[in-house]
Amino acid sequence: MEFGMSRSHGLHNMETGVTPTGAVSAVVFDIQRFSLHDGPGIRTTVFLKGCPLRCVWCQNPESNGMQPEIAFYRERCVRCFDCKAICPRGAILSGEWRVDYDRCNACGECCTGCRQQALVLVGKRWDSASLARELIKDLDFYRDSGGGVTFSGGEPMMQVDFLMQVIPNLRARGIHINLETSGAFPWSAMEQLMEMTDLIYFDVKLMDPVLHLTHTRSDNRMIHDNFRRLSQGFRGLQPRMPLIPGITDTERNLIETARFLKTNGHKSIHCLPYHSFGDAKLARIQSNREPFGKRNPVAADPQWVTAIFEKEGIDVVIYR
Amino acid sequence: MSSSTGNGRKLGEGDRIGRLKASVQNAPYAVCTERALLWTDYFQKTHHRQKPIAIQIAEALRQVLLQKSITIYPDELIVGNFTSKRVGGSIYPELHGVPVMLDLFRLSRRKTNPLRITPKEMRQLMAIIPFWAFRFVAFHAYRRPLEKIRFIANQLRAHFYLINECGGISHLAPDYEKLIRMGTDGIKAQVEASKPYSAEGSESRHFLEAVAIAAEGLALFGERYGKLATDMARAESDPRRRAELETIAGVCSRGLRHGAANFHEALQAIFFAQIAINLESLDNAVSPGRMDQYLYPYYVRDLSEGVLDRETAKSLVAAFCIKLSEIIPVFSQQLINFHGGMFNGQVLTVGGTDRSGKDAVNELSYIFLEVMNELRMRQPNFHARVHADAPPEYHQTLHTLLAGGSNSPALYNDDVIVPAMRHQGYTLEDARDYTAVGCVEPVSQGKSFASTDAALFNLPIVLEMALNQGRRFGSPIRTGIATRPVSEMTHMDHVLNAFEAQLKEMLGRLVRDLRAVEIANRKHHPTPLTSMLLKGCIESATCSTAGGAAYNFSGIQCVAPIDVGDALYAIEQSVFVEKRMHLRQIVALLKRNIDDSQAFAYLQGLAKFGNDDPAVDRWSVYAAETFEKTLRELGDTTRGGAYTTGLYSVTAHEFFGRITGALPHGRKKGQAFASGISPGNGMDRKGPTALLNSVNRFDFKRFANGINFNIKFDPHTLRGDTGVAALGGLLKTYFRRGGMQAQVNVVDPDVLIQARKNPRLYPNLLVRVSGYSAYFNDLSPAMKDEVIRRTCLSAG
Repeated sequence: MEFGMSRSHGLHNMETGVTPTGAVSAVVFDIQRFSLHDGPGIRTTVFLKGCPLRCVWCQNPESNGMQPEIAFYRERCVRCFDCKAICPRGAILSGEWRVDYDRCNACGECCTGCRQQALVLVGKRWDSASLARELIKDLDFYRDSGGGVTFSGGEPMMQVDFLMQVIPNLRARGIHINLETSGAFPWSAMEQLMEMTDLIYFDVKLMDPVLHLTHTRSDNRMIHDNFRRLSQGFRGLQPRMPLIPGITDTERNLIETARFLKTNGHKSIHCLPYHSFGDAKLARIQSNREPFGKRNPVAADPQWVTAIFEKEGIDVVIYR
Repeated sequence: MSSSTGNGRKLGEGDRIGRLKASVQNAPYAVCTERALLWTDYFQKTHHRQKPIAIQIAEALRQVLLQKSITIYPDELIVGNFTSKRVGGSIYPELHGVPVMLDLFRLSRRKTNPLRITPKEMRQLMAIIPFWAFRFVAFHAYRRPLEKIRFIANQLRAHFYLINECGGISHLAPDYEKLIRMGTDGIKAQVEASKPYSAEGSESRHFLEAVAIAAEGLALFGERYGKLATDMARAESDPRRRAELETIAGVCSRGLRHGAANFHEALQAIFFAQIAINLESLDNAVSPGRMDQYLYPYYVRDLSEGVLDRETAKSLVAAFCIKLSEIIPVFSQQLINFHGGMFNGQVLTVGGTDRSGKDAVNELSYIFLEVMNELRMRQPNFHARVHADAPPEYHQTLHTLLAGGSNSPALYNDDVIVPAMRHQGYTLEDARDYTAVGCVEPVSQGKSFASTDAALFNLPIVLEMALNQGRRFGSPIRTGIATRPVSEMTHMDHVLNAFEAQLKEMLGRLVRDLRAVEIANRKHHPTPLTSMLLKGCIESATCSTAGGAAYNFSGIQCVAPIDVGDALYAIEQSVFVEKRMHLRQIVALLKRNIDDSQAFAYLQGLAKFGNDDPAVDRWSVYAAETFEKTLRELGDTTRGGAYTTGLYSVTAHEFFGRITGALPHGRKKGQAFASGISPGNGMDRKGPTALLNSVNRFDFKRFANGINFNIKFDPHTLRGDTGVAALGGLLKTYFRRGGMQAQVNVVDPDVLIQARKNPRLYPNLLVRVSGYSAYFNDLSPAMKDEVIRRTCLSAG
C-alpha cells in the first residue's frame, strides 16, 4: 500500500462483500446538512469512510481508509503538548509530526483536548439508530424542498450491511434516498439495497481498462458490469463523471463514455469539475501520495465537453 | 426581473428614474435648520404660550409647512421636500434636539454618519439652545429636580436601557387610505361633525380644533407646490417638461384637499402627508405601509379608463420611492450607538391578505417589488407578507429576488403574526390588515399608535448583576437589588432566581420612567396631525398621545436574549453538569475578563445557540420568555395598551455589548452581543437547517412587537435554480413551523472586506443590518466588522 494512512484499514474484502467492521455500526467521516448538490432538494449527505479505489486526483483522501484516524493541522499547533498528557497510549510525538500511528488507536481523546483544533479526529463510529436520529432532524426540510438523505463516501457500498439497517428507518418516514457510488462493489451487495433506494449517482470515470487501473488502482470491469445491470434493473440511475484534466476529460474518453451511456439507455450525465482542495488534506494525514495539483493540470473547457457529449446525444449538467 | 447588479438598472422613460436616483444618491447628507428655527420662532412668542398645547403644536406645524423653503427638482414627477436640502434631516429641539445640538461641532467631522452643516447654520442653532435647554420633553418627565437629573443622566449613559420615547413617538402606519379618499377637507368636515360632542374649551375640543388647523396647514402646503409648479411651467422652455409641470400643478392643488381623483394624485397626496407627519414629531418609522392594497383601486380605475399604463404607474411608484430616500435622521453620537445607518424606518409592505383573510397579492405588489429591486436604495424599508395560501408565483418572485442578492424585502409570516396580534387584543380583521413599521414591528394600518420602539433593554447586564449581588463587576455600588451571593448558589434555580429578581427590578424602573415620558409627551407634545390619520382619535376627540387611537400598545425590545441563553447554558454545563468549575471561580474569572486562556477556551468551546441542540437552545427561549412574562406583569401604558416584547436590537446589541462585563459563555467584556435572535457571530456551525431548527424553538406568538432574524448566505450558495429552490424550501419549512420574520442576506464577504478597506470603491453597497437596509459606508467601524464576521452560511 502506498498510503501513509493505510496502516490500520485493511482493504475491503471484495470477494465476500462482508464489511470488516461488522454490521451494526459504521465509520462516518462527515455529515453535511443543507447539501444542495447531492440530489434533488435540501439534503443531508453522509460520508462513509473507506474506499476500494485510489484515484490519483482523490479530493477526499481522508476517506480512503475504513478506520477513524487522527489528522494533524501543523499550522495550528502551538506545541503546548496538552495532547501528550491526555493520550492514554503514549502515541504523541514531539518532533515535526504529532501522531505515532503505530501506537494510536484513534480514540480521539487528544482531539477533544486540543484547544487549537490542530488534532482532528477523522471518522466517528455511528450505530444505525443514532445516525437515523441525526438524519431525521432535517426531515421537515426534506419534505418541503423535495430533498432527502444521500449516502456518499468513500464508497458507501463498503458498509452495505449498515446501510441495510439504517435506510429502512429513514424510508419509513418517507425520506428520499440517494446513493453516490464509484460502482466498485460486488453485485450481491446491491441486489437488496436497490429495492430501498430512490436514486443512484454512479461514477463513470475511465472507459479504457488500462488507464483506469493506472489512475485508480482498480479494475473497471466490475464497475461497468454493475452499471449495465443497474441500467436494466433500476430506474433511478444517474451517471456522473469527475472531469479530471488530462485524464477523464480527453476527447477519446468522453466519446467512449457517451457511447457506453447510450448503449445502456441513458440520456444524460452530470459532470463534476476538478478542484484541488483535496491536495491540502494529504499532508494532514501524512499521506505520501503526490498532490495531483502539482501536475499543473489544465482543465478542458466545459463548453467543449458539453459539445462532445451533446454530439453523441447525451445531455450534460456541469456542476459549479 | 432578478438582477445581480441591482444598481444603475434602467427603469424606463428614457432614464428619468436613473437620473433622479443618481441625484439623490450623490447628494451629501446635510442638516436642515428650518424646522428647528421656525418651531422655535413660534414658541418664543409669549402670546402663543397662553394657548392650549395642542393648538400650539398645530399652529407651529402650520407655520413650518407654510414658511419652509420648497423646491421642485429637475425630472421630478412626485414633488415635495422633507428639508431644504436634497437629502437632509431636521432637528427637533423640543424632543431629542438638545443633545444633538450639543454635538453640533462634531456633526460634520464625526467618523460615523457625518452631516454637512455650515458655520452660519451652526450659529443659528447655538442661539436657540438656551431657549430649549429646560423645555425639552425628557426634562418634563420628572418634576423633582433630583429625579430630573437622575433620569437624564441615566438616559445619557443608557447602560441598562434607553427610552426612545424621549424623542417623540411616531411609529405608525397612517390611514392614508382615508386621506386619499376624503382629502383634508373631508377630514375637516369629520372634525366639525365631531365638535358638538365635546364642551367648548375642553381638552377634547382643543384637540379637534388643532386637528382642523393641522389639516388646513397640510392642504396649504400642497397648494404651495401647485403654485410653484405653475410658475415654473410658465418659465419652462422645454414643452415636454412644461406639460409635466402643468400636470404636477394640477395634481398638487387637487388630490390632497379634495381626495385623490387618480393614481398620481394619490401618491402625491401621500407624499405631502409623509413630509408633514415627519415634521410634526419624531422623524422615524412613519410608514406608508400597505400601499399595494390601498392604491390598487386607483390603479385599476386609471387603467380601465385608459389614463394610466403599467409603465407609467411604475415610474410614478419609483419616483415616490426615491423621494423617501431624501430624509435622514439627525442623531447625536449617543443615539447613533443605538440606531446606526441613517435609518428612517419608512416601511412599505406588499402582499398578505385582505381583511376577510383572502390572499391580496395584486399587480401593484409586483410593481413595488420590481421598483425595489431596480432601485436598491436605503429607503423605503421594503417588506413582503407571506402566508401558506399565497400564490406560488408570488413566492417564486420573492425567492428569486432574494437569492439574486436584493437583500430585501424582509419577509413576514401572516400565519404567525395575525394570531399573535389577535392574542394582544386586535380584532381578526384589524390583525389581518397589519403592516410592520420601523424595523419589524407589526401594527394595524391606520389604527395603531403603538410606540413600537419605546425602549431598548440590556438583558445581559441583568445577568452580570445577578452574579454579583446586584452590582456591576468591579463596582462597589449596588445598582440593582441584593440577591444571593454566588458562593451560596448551589443549584441552577438559585442563579435563575437572582436573574429574575434583578430583571424584575430593572424592568420595573424602565416602565416607571417610560410612563413618566408618556405623560410628558401627552402634556407637552400632542400630535394632532398624526392623530388625524389614526382611527379612533377624531371619533373619541382624543389625541393619539393620550390614547385616542384604536390600539395603544408600546413595544420594549429585549436585547441579547441569545447571549443570556448561552451564558446560562455555560453555567449549567460547567458548574452543575460537568462540575468542572465552581460558580464563584467563574465569577472571579469574569471580573478579570477571563484572563485564563485554558478556562476561556473551555467556556468558549461549550455548545451555543443555533446548532440544533435543544439542551442549549432552551436557555435562549427561557431568557426571552422570562423577559416577556416579567414585562407583561408590569401592567399597561398610560395610553391604555399593553407593553409588548420585541426581539430585535437595531444596533443596540453592539452598544450594550460595549458597556457590559464578561459573560460565562466565553464572551469578553466589551464584545458585541448577538443581534436580534441570530446566534452569536460565527457560533452557528451546522448550516442553515440546524440554525432554523434552533430558531423555530421560540414561540413567536408571544413576541408581538416583532423579531429580527437574519439569515445570511454567500452568493454562491443560492446561485441558479437550485439555489432559488433551496431558499424556497428553507423558508417554507421555517414559516410553516411558526417562524415570524426573516431577512435573507446574500453578501459576498470579500466584497465587504474590500468595502471596509476602500469605501470609495463601493459608495452604495446596501446591506441588511437589523431590521433594515443601510449603506455599508454609513455603519460604524464596529458594525462593519460585525457584518463581515457574521457567519456566512454556505452549502456543501
